[in-house]
Amino acid sequence: MMLRDTYLIMTNEIKVTFRNPFWIFHGLVQPVIYLVLFGPLLNGVAEARGFPSANAIQFFAPGLLIMNALFSAGFVGFSLQDKVECGFLERLRVTPVSRIALAMGLILVSSIELLCQSGALVLCALLFGLRFDVWGGLLLVVLILLIGITMASTSFTLALLTREGGVLAGVTNTLVLPLLILSGVMLPVTFGPPLIQALARVDPFLYAVNAARALMSGAILDAAVPAAFVIFAVLSVVMLAVFIRGMREAVA
Amino acid sequence: MAAPIIRIEKLAKRFAGRGKKIVEAVREINLEVEKGEIFGLLGPNGAGKTTTMRMLCTLLVPTSGKATVTGFDLTTQAREIRRHIGYVGQKGGMEQVATGRENLMLHAQLYRMSKADAERRIDDLIERLDLASFADRKTATYSGGQRRIFDLASGVINMPELLFLDEPTTGLDPQSRARVRSEVRALNEQGTTIFLTTHYLEEADALCNRVAIVDRGKIVALGSPADLKKQIAGDIITLGFDDEGDVGAASSLMQGTELVIETQRADGSLHLYVDRGDHALPEIMRILGQAQQAPKTVHLSRPSLDDVFLKLTGHSLSEAETAE
Repeated sequence: MMLRDTYLIMTNEIKVTFRNPFWIFHGLVQPVIYLVLFGPLLNGVAEARGFPSANAIQFFAPGLLIMNALFSAGFVGFSLQDKVECGFLERLRVTPVSRIALAMGLILVSSIELLCQSGALVLCALLFGLRFDVWGGLLLVVLILLIGITMASTSFTLALLTREGGVLAGVTNTLVLPLLILSGVMLPVTFGPPLIQALARVDPFLYAVNAARALMSGAILDAAVPAAFVIFAVLSVVMLAVFIRGMREAVA
Repeated sequence: MAAPIIRIEKLAKRFAGRGKKIVEAVREINLEVEKGEIFGLLGPNGAGKTTTMRMLCTLLVPTSGKATVTGFDLTTQAREIRRHIGYVGQKGGMEQVATGRENLMLHAQLYRMSKADAERRIDDLIERLDLASFADRKTATYSGGQRRIFDLASGVINMPELLFLDEPTTGLDPQSRARVRSEVRALNEQGTTIFLTTHYLEEADALCNRVAIVDRGKIVALGSPADLKKQIAGDIITLGFDDEGDVGAASSLMQGTELVIETQRADGSLHLYVDRGDHALPEIMRILGQAQQAPKTVHLSRPSLDDVFLKLTGHSLSEAETAE
């Protein structure tokens, strides 16, 4: 029954998501714009002293995949808030639907969206000369999914707690922006002063970005890889459990 | 006699309010609803009607107290209850970019109906409720009335024995309102027990067999609309004045007479409860005229539920509404 419920929620979500043309724009175009407009900017920086990679796209593309996971999944709560607002979630919660299925259905759809976006990004980056290791790339897909589950669960939970769109936007930005900047996606954290470097060390996304770069270059055994997997495996399980609990007791 | 379909014992809900304030939304309500009734919770916004209903629908966990709904325990058998009840919330709950039919299909399948059974049930509902002309359009294009009828269809998709309706006609035009009411009556005639909330007095009066009047989280009166109105003997004469000072003066004049059983002030007007309005009115006008306190307007009426509400709570329903 739980599987059937999950399937029903998931297929309904997919149907609804793909009917909204805005999704294509918001979901796919944004990361591609980053790649096209921000990537070339890095070409000049790549020649600077201390820059870890001579090739800007090899440095930037893996980070961009992580950034996309952080942003795309980090903002899914807004769609749930719409569902709360129009009573849709409440309507489902008075049916005997399994609460776990309700949460899993939404998480699965956000994961599928993330996979599509990541695929589009990689295709684009290939045009810019990206080269990556196949096995490392497959492992990176798993890491991206773990990040997606973590962030989507967090965002969905925040959406249930905050209720107001403005509050959710504020909380999300305050959470996501520092995580992004300290992760070293844009510029290497090693460029920064000791305080920033110390702060970056508690940002799980620093490990994710480092692991992504290692995986793409084929260095599967790099220390950053197991660190990132352990961190996000734990975080994804914890946040998913919190989200399911929220679905059980949702106030809204 | 059969067991009540809803039995509530000391059900309460407290919310954390601003700061350290605790909001007592529902204060230890006791209530029984029998099978086959159309039962109404009547009260102003913020009285605790919706909170009570949401607890009974398993959407909200009570702070304390006990309840059984359709024979199942609210705290331990929520899933069983969900199978046997229908619920139409204030917001409806249709997915905007899906059609009405698609929405119903999702809901039906979540009630564990097979696709074939669901299709049959949906076709039946669409025909019976006359929804065919817009069933295959996106619900975003529906008018308020069309949406409400579809919400009703969704609420009964699982053929519930008990249907909860939260403010079923709020925000509708008079025509749609009448339509929703007649559908509710029809459902009730087919054997569905109805539990609804409303802040429309005429709705409670016209639709419900029994009404509980709720104010500030408590039930202040319970009975059939006719019984409740009988609590107010005789007739009501309402005198309108230009300023509060005149209301006060007239009030003290009237309290001195034997004609008037009781007086009640409500902004700018004075309500007089009298035995026979037709006999009392000329005498009252004579007394006020002599004292140079003639009112601006006079209104003689049979008691309405609003008068019951006013008498029980000290404020009128419409007043309480604006105070929210």
